[in-house]
Amino acid sequence: MITNLNPNANTLINSKRFRTILNCKKLKTKSPHQTLTSPLFSTPQKNKEKTYLFHHFTHKNPNSYSYYYDHNNTTMKKSIHYLIYLTLFLSYLTTTTHSWKKEEFRNCNQTPFCKRARSRHPHSCNLIPSDVTITNNGDLVAKLKTKPNPDQDSSDDHNPDLEFSLSVYKDGILRVKIHENQEKDKKRFEVPDVVLDEFESQKLWLQRFKKEVIGDDLLESFVVYLSDGYEVVLRSDPFEVFVREQGSGGARILSFNSHGLFDFEQLRVKKEGEDWEERFRSHTDSRPYGPQSISFDVSFYGADFVYGIPEHATSLALKPTSGPGVEESEPYRLFNLDVFEYLAESPFGLYGSIPFMLSHGKSHGTSGFFWLNAAEMQIDVLGSGWDAESKIALPSDQKRIDTLWMSEAGIVDAFFFVGPKPKDVVKQYASVTGTSAMPQLFATGYHQCRWNYKDEEDVKNVDSKFDEHDIPYDVLWLDIEHTDGKRYFTWDRTLFPNPEQMQNDLASRGRRMVTIVDPHIKRDEGYHIHKEASKNGYYVKDASGKDYDGWCWPGSSSYIDMVNPDIRSWWADKFALSEYVGSTPSLYIWNDMNEPSVFNGPEVTMPRDALHYGNVEHRELHNAYGYYFHMATSDGLLKRGGGNDRPFVLSRAFFPGTQRYGTVWTGDNTAEWEQLRVSIPMILTLGLTGITFSGADVGGFFGNPDTELLVRWYQVAAYLPFFRGHAHHDTKRREPWLFGERNTQLMRDAIRVRYTLLPYFYTLFREANVTGVPVARPLWMEFPEDEATYSNDEAFMVGNGLLVQGVYTQVLLFSFMTYSPPYG
Amino acid sequence: MNNLFIFITSISLFFFIINRSVVASFSSNDLIGVAPQDEVYYKELWSSGGGSVKCRDGSKSFTKAQLNDDFCDCFDGTDEPGTSACPTGKFYCRNAGHSPLIVFSSRINDGICDCCDGSDEYDGKTNCTNTCWEAGKVARDALKQKIATYQQGVTIRKHETDEAKISAAKDEAELSKLKSEEKVLKGIVEKLKEHKEQIEKVLEKERIQKEKEEKQKKEAEESKLKEQKGEDKVDEPVKSDDDKADILDNSPAGQEHAESALEVVHNAHASLDNGEEHSVMEEDTSEVAPVSDPDTGLGSKGEDATKDIDSLSREDLGREIGSRWTGKKTEQQNHDVDDVKNDDRTSVDVQDEESNGYDTETEEDHQNYEDDTEDHMDDVADEANDDSSSSYNYEPDEEVDMSDIESESNPSWFEKIKKTVRDVLQAINPLQTPVDTSEAETVRKEYDEANGKLLKLRSKISRLTKKLKSDFGPEKEFYSLYGQCFESKQNKYVYKVCPFKQATQEEGYSTTRLGNWKNFEESYSVMLFENGDNCWNGPDRSLKVRLRCGLKVEVADVNEPSRCEYAATLTTPALCLEGKLKELKDELEVLDKQQPQIHDEL
Repeated sequence: MITNLNPNANTLINSKRFRTILNCKKLKTKSPHQTLTSPLFSTPQKNKEKTYLFHHFTHKNPNSYSYYYDHNNTTMKKSIHYLIYLTLFLSYLTTTTHSWKKEEFRNCNQTPFCKRARSRHPHSCNLIPSDVTITNNGDLVAKLKTKPNPDQDSSDDHNPDLEFSLSVYKDGILRVKIHENQEKDKKRFEVPDVVLDEFESQKLWLQRFKKEVIGDDLLESFVVYLSDGYEVVLRSDPFEVFVREQGSGGARILSFNSHGLFDFEQLRVKKEGEDWEERFRSHTDSRPYGPQSISFDVSFYGADFVYGIPEHATSLALKPTSGPGVEESEPYRLFNLDVFEYLAESPFGLYGSIPFMLSHGKSHGTSGFFWLNAAEMQIDVLGSGWDAESKIALPSDQKRIDTLWMSEAGIVDAFFFVGPKPKDVVKQYASVTGTSAMPQLFATGYHQCRWNYKDEEDVKNVDSKFDEHDIPYDVLWLDIEHTDGKRYFTWDRTLFPNPEQMQNDLASRGRRMVTIVDPHIKRDEGYHIHKEASKNGYYVKDASGKDYDGWCWPGSSSYIDMVNPDIRSWWADKFALSEYVGSTPSLYIWNDMNEPSVFNGPEVTMPRDALHYGNVEHRELHNAYGYYFHMATSDGLLKRGGGNDRPFVLSRAFFPGTQRYGTVWTGDNTAEWEQLRVSIPMILTLGLTGITFSGADVGGFFGNPDTELLVRWYQVAAYLPFFRGHAHHDTKRREPWLFGERNTQLMRDAIRVRYTLLPYFYTLFREANVTGVPVARPLWMEFPEDEATYSNDEAFMVGNGLLVQGVYTQVLLFSFMTYSPPYG
Repeated sequence: MNNLFIFITSISLFFFIINRSVVASFSSNDLIGVAPQDEVYYKELWSSGGGSVKCRDGSKSFTKAQLNDDFCDCFDGTDEPGTSACPTGKFYCRNAGHSPLIVFSSRINDGICDCCDGSDEYDGKTNCTNTCWEAGKVARDALKQKIATYQQGVTIRKHETDEAKISAAKDEAELSKLKSEEKVLKGIVEKLKEHKEQIEKVLEKERIQKEKEEKQKKEAEESKLKEQKGEDKVDEPVKSDDDKADILDNSPAGQEHAESALEVVHNAHASLDNGEEHSVMEEDTSEVAPVSDPDTGLGSKGEDATKDIDSLSREDLGREIGSRWTGKKTEQQNHDVDDVKNDDRTSVDVQDEESNGYDTETEEDHQNYEDDTEDHMDDVADEANDDSSSSYNYEPDEEVDMSDIESESNPSWFEKIKKTVRDVLQAINPLQTPVDTSEAETVRKEYDEANGKLLKLRSKISRLTKKLKSDFGPEKEFYSLYGQCFESKQNKYVYKVCPFKQATQEEGYSTTRLGNWKNFEESYSVMLFENGDNCWNGPDRSLKVRLRCGLKVEVADVNEPSRCEYAATLTTPALCLEGKLKELKDELEVLDKQQPQIHDEL
């Protein structure tokens, strides 16, 4: 699939201003796994596993183990220099790291459904499947009945049966849905427009099931075919679903409810005197429909590590959050939030949510589990030994990782992927939610952003400086200040009197512009978007049914209800060149604040009892709000170009399926080494969970990076899929030519390497577009047999041919090492 | 991509075929992208044996076939002057009719016309029209204009540096004169002080003596009275208590006074705050904690701050949370505080720094300064309304205030004071008792006067010393800028640059200091002002003024490229250097040489 760089392709790219194409012989790849580092070339040493690296400007001296940042200085001078830096850096850390306001966000104990689910004991689920049949649609269905308890009068507290269905899809995908009877006033929310339409066509129509008695079970279980070599077992008592290798003794792959933690709070009538309201800080959630949470356990067999479930600023291999030795840890939270100055190591939920987890291990390989649910979710990775007390009879010869999944609302719509190779799992996931959109070539180049490039002159100046310094770039970005009072689709005409001319000027050199369009709409009668939206009832409503009135950049704002396809279509039309005054065909879009961010809302977002189209509560779809917004914007650009211009839309919030609509970035990071470091696992995780086109703000959004950090950031980010420099307005200017000739050169080289590799990246984007395999890959995706790679998230692969190791610390005088997997 | 490669190859092939006919020689097509003066470097390639040439960096060598073959052999790009193969390569365009240009190799055949003669786009995909003649004409005209400015500027500069030398010498002379005067005056003051103290001692003695006598007299009288009447002693303290009570009773009136004063202050505050105050009032009435702590932005932590957030109204909560990203609200508040502070600082500010240096100055003097400056600033403000750029002296007060000791205007004051003092000292004998009180008064007055003069003299010396210590450039070409301010009006702001002193940004009544004078940088082509007012969540403000040659001293293009880091340009004849003028003339000469030739061709 992937072709290595064609050594004959001298001028690799014809596009205007895609300059600086290296034509050096060193790019001719000699081995299938050429190791290119950032910007370090690794050279194999006698010790086959470890490789020492050299700065590529000092590679004349390949026998030295020292690593130099600036080879002009003497080492002595330098050590002093670095010590000073280090001291400065440490003092900087102490003053800035604790800005994240933990107490303003709910933890699990403050979240009743989470607290409750976490305190449940294994095997408290007392459901058993009955009336198991195969339907005309080729699904296996059953009713989940409460097991009669001989000790209790069963007439009390009797829950209606739950509806269970099990479907099998091509390539080893199992889908399990558990629902309650829908003959009620309030329907539970099923997330629309995420699963591909064509996915349904890949369903394998089940014809029959096999009956089997497992172990000493009193009841028979039901076995159906999943794919070659795999089958699904619906076990009756205790109720569980598991995937195993074919045959009654087949090794388990994945299982659902093996620990009996499944619980489904059915909608019910409020009892007298019952208080359903939930209060957090100054906010009250009316919770008119009461408790409706769902929780269950999922086990991954043969797993050494689990991965995925973005977005958290944390390691690639997910650490246990509960169990022996884990003290006071929060579950991984999936709740899209605009977190001010997030921390570099925290299970706390950030801007986007993808409830898709992968496991990987030496014995089985890879498998995956995806829960399509848009409500707040909390996921515990249970450390081994967590169930020591519960005497669970699971095969003990298999290594296993157990996880606990909890959600506030919605239904169970779960997908199991059998793998068994890493790429199989991501492909299986992509067949459900789609592969990433093919970006235009320009979007894969370097992007320059800042809050804010102030006016047309500033834009012109920055643009010309790139040429002056011979640094290639493709897109110049305008943040919120370009608008007339934060009214999106408008321009501050004092600062930007001639936006078309400005864009056309950039376009004359083949460059594009991106402007920001956020979902909060200024409540101003003179603003055409607000006028239309309020007249047509296109806003999200508050619990009382009035247009929800929150606070964001423009002040008092309302939020477009993007769940409604008609409203999305209306929104998409706003991007027509005739509608968006001052836009040109070379203008693309940036969607920010779409979690949605509401400055005066609970946890800086929308109240959970706000109402969407179809009487859906915000709590039910919160995590998908930004996704629908992104979708509508992307559709807008698609419409604008008559279907002939591939959209480019960057979004901060995301959900499964986001990859079909554009790019994401890791939000408001900070100019610190540890944030550079954590950006790698964050981006790799996004890639594993479908969103390959992602990146982090180069240099860090908040704060001023020291020069070395900035240079290092460019050097790593040049190899990551989305490559954009961005900065907060309080920071010093940091365009790559502002730090002296030497550093300009280093950053120029980093950006040029990216441009040199553009054909490779473009090819990889196409691969991702066709197969779902990400551009930037964890090492274990390419070396699945090599256990040493499983938890490595410092190095990564670009495609299958390039290993990149970043530098994430100030290098003092120590040698530097990276892992080099043996050639497979 | 392959097509392109083939195309380029065929082009080189084409050139190659042409060259076959000119063995051991080369045409300009072979050496596309090579500057004429460098052509000789490649000569070896055409030697009979098919020689090779070393890369300029000496690393490798290349043959004729490798020259411009679109493959980078030399790391420094020597072998690819005409293609984009080497990232560090440079391409030379002749640009006949205009000036030659060296562009980055990345510009070659990239679809954009970079050279005005279009020679960088030779792959046939992009048609570039030759615009060198027009561009050259414009460039020449601009150059001529610049030369004219420089010519005049050089003359002015010469004049100014001469003047500066004279002024500096004058100031030096003045300083040494003042210093010697100070020495004498110091002696006089010391004598007077001694004299005064002696008189005071005598007076004190007399006073004590007198008191003693009176006391004795009183005691005598009292003992007489005691004998007459009985024991009134108890009543007296009671009465004094009553007195105290009276004072206490009066206090409400005093409080009222204070309250009304507060009200005035409050009103003043309100009028300053305008709209902002309105919202503060609303908050006060709405049963919600009043204005949030301005510190609850980025830096603050802990429960207290967050409790505040919880108690905010919905709208204020939105503002508060938003301000974490923008810093705006909090900044606004700080700004308001600044406004109030600035109200009395605006005028004082200019003097602040000055007075720090002169602790000996009396309050009265200081007051005078303020008045003077204020008046003056008003004048300036009026001017500024009409003109976007202007200048003025910031130390007129020196003239006014020091007039009485200004040696030039009144050279005899010094002699006069010496004489008076001599007279006084002779006429009055401090040891004489009883002391004539009027004489004592005279001595005291003389002392005060002389001492006051001494202090003023010292401050004058200090100022002059400071001035003379400043760096005015190698030829003192910036001497005339000392004590001057230059203004530029941009939108709602007035920027004020006072070299050797400070720079400010004024908006209405509020003044923000952009920085204090630091020094010149980049060999006297930049003025640096640092440590201005601090930015919320940011650095101290600073201003970098880039100097350019110009006939008048004017500030322009004030800008804030990074938050709170300002930049401006200042034109001054001081930058009109003769060397640079010569360079420009040479440049024009080169252009003119090319001009008629190409004109003929056209």
